[in-house]
Amino acid sequence: MIDLELKKVSKKYRIRREVDTNASFIRKLLSLRKRKEDFWALKDISFSVQRAEALGIIGHNGAGKSTILKLLSRITTPSAGEIMINGRLSALIEVGSGFHPELTGRENIYLNGSILGMLRREITKKLDSIVEFAELRQFIDTPVKRYSSGMYVRLGFSIAAHLDPDILLLDEVLAVGDAAFQQKCIQRITELKKNGTTIVFISHDLRAVQKLCDRVILLKSGQIEADGDPQETIALYESSSRNLHAQARAAGVQEASREAVVTSLSFYNDEDQECLSFETGMPMKAVLKYEVYKPLVDVIFEVQFYSQEGRLCSFFSSETLPGRIDLQPGEGTIVFDCSSVGLGPGVYFIDTGIRNRQAPFGIDIDWRKRCLAVRIDYDRHLRDTFYMPYICRHSPAPKTFADASREKLIETI
Amino acid sequence: MLYEGARPIRIIRPVSFSPVDLFRELRGLWQYRDLFYTLTVHRIKVRYKQSVLGLAWAILQPLSLMLIYTVIFSVIAKVPSEGVPYAVFAYAALLPWTFFSSSLTNATTGLVSHTQLVTKVYFAREILPLTYVSAAVFDFVIASSFLIALFFYYGVGLTIYALYAIPIFLLLAALATAFSLFLSAVQVRFRDIGVAMPLLLQIWMFATPVVYPLSAVPQRYRGLYALNPTVGVIENFRRVVLQGVAPDHYSLAISAIIAAILLPLAYLYFKRVEATMADII
Repeated sequence: MIDLELKKVSKKYRIRREVDTNASFIRKLLSLRKRKEDFWALKDISFSVQRAEALGIIGHNGAGKSTILKLLSRITTPSAGEIMINGRLSALIEVGSGFHPELTGRENIYLNGSILGMLRREITKKLDSIVEFAELRQFIDTPVKRYSSGMYVRLGFSIAAHLDPDILLLDEVLAVGDAAFQQKCIQRITELKKNGTTIVFISHDLRAVQKLCDRVILLKSGQIEADGDPQETIALYESSSRNLHAQARAAGVQEASREAVVTSLSFYNDEDQECLSFETGMPMKAVLKYEVYKPLVDVIFEVQFYSQEGRLCSFFSSETLPGRIDLQPGEGTIVFDCSSVGLGPGVYFIDTGIRNRQAPFGIDIDWRKRCLAVRIDYDRHLRDTFYMPYICRHSPAPKTFADASREKLIETI
Repeated sequence: MLYEGARPIRIIRPVSFSPVDLFRELRGLWQYRDLFYTLTVHRIKVRYKQSVLGLAWAILQPLSLMLIYTVIFSVIAKVPSEGVPYAVFAYAALLPWTFFSSSLTNATTGLVSHTQLVTKVYFAREILPLTYVSAAVFDFVIASSFLIALFFYYGVGLTIYALYAIPIFLLLAALATAFSLFLSAVQVRFRDIGVAMPLLLQIWMFATPVVYPLSAVPQRYRGLYALNPTVGVIENFRRVVLQGVAPDHYSLAISAIIAAILLPLAYLYFKRVEATMADII
């Protein structure tokens, strides 16, 4: 039984070259007619998903993952091809985008629920269970603008988790909330899967994909690169992501710099195995390889970690080295050795590159934006956002004479 | 496999919207009736939450316009008002006009203000402009109570013909829906519409018998003038509630025909834009 089928689906976006805002009115009007550039986000994609199968879709930024998500959830329509959906499909993407801050939690459950396609009486029936799952019983009649971000996320996920769809579309949502709640979410999804819900999971989170999916599709510049066993496909992806040259070519990015380029970036765990998932508090090593074409003076190498919301969370920089780095034509390697990862759990996007220390910010010799994604998992050390390495010592109070004699008394009896 | 029969099968293809699909789309719209209801209530609630005057705002808007126009057109300019006090005369037209203009203004800017939603979740997008129209209906009902109060104050009596106000208002609502759908869809592509709206509505109001009676328009311009679909509706609304006589069927028929043509066209246009709305919004 096939629940989902894509037949030669393509999606084209029109990119209009932005006219200079200072351009004259006439020029702006004329530019409306100017030829637009076409960009194929997806090209001739065909695949089908069996009932109760869990399919993972992975790939670099710009490979077409989110376009597939948008097509399946009907947010946009394909430019060519045909999509067949058999059953009630719900998307669990960026929960809480339909919340209104002035309304209470309860009102927002109705609002968000009906936006996601639930009927009012259905929501009424599930209200208790939704509130219970979100652990928000005492705040349910408070306007959500007074909620913490964690409460917000919990409520959003809880509503979506009660949709009971035939087919469930999942985004990066699993990487939200605290560890206990994440666990609960995964449990809920596993439950749905067991009950025969077909799942399509589109994510950067390789470990979660491997755990949840029976089959994985790897996308590359709008086409299917591999389709099959999760472990093999993920391994292929991991090995291909190291090569930044090939990645840039695939994404159609012009490699502008003729001075020097970063050719590869790879991460290693404490067993010196190359991987893209780590645990808070455990070691991590980043190895960056570069090629220089012209002599350069006073450069900095950097590896930056961005949260999913696009916030810079941390970085490795060669600025910490004593003295300045001058480069001669040829190849070289730079290693950042981190003894314990301080990042909290989640998926982080990586920027890396070479820049001149004197050059103004934003002008780089070579810069690779969002070229990788690493997943950080919880370790027993961490309960919240920040990790601080520490050693714990315990010195109990010395026993008083009274205690000692009482113990003695008890012993003698 | 228990609900095998209940599983809906959907085929998604590139946009090719023909009038035949209109009925299928309307049937699809019916599935979103709960969302329509919830969002309408939401609009009304949000508007009056954390405001001191609350519901009074629904009355204050046409009321303050009435006061301004009474001073300008009755005290200063001496515009005829068909034998009734100018204040009632103006309010009886400002009431439906305010409904029409606030529907259009809110619906036009309302759709693009939901970018977050439109790019994240699918639902029949026409629900968004439609709920602005229905929220305006609510304001209209509240503001109507003040018209009744004015009638008592000035001793204007209602006749059985006042019941015509209901179908006339429905016709106005149909026009408001058509224009809201069309303008909000255009606004997605060209934000100029939202900026131009206040000006456009100002001109439109003066091209409609709101602050002056239809009889003040020179006979030879009447034919052209009646092509403005709001003319027949607003004039007749005032006529049946204020004069207490039967509506002028000729001007009402013109408005009705225009509405019957515009509404399906606007809906088709909206659905066409909707298909790629998330890409360009």
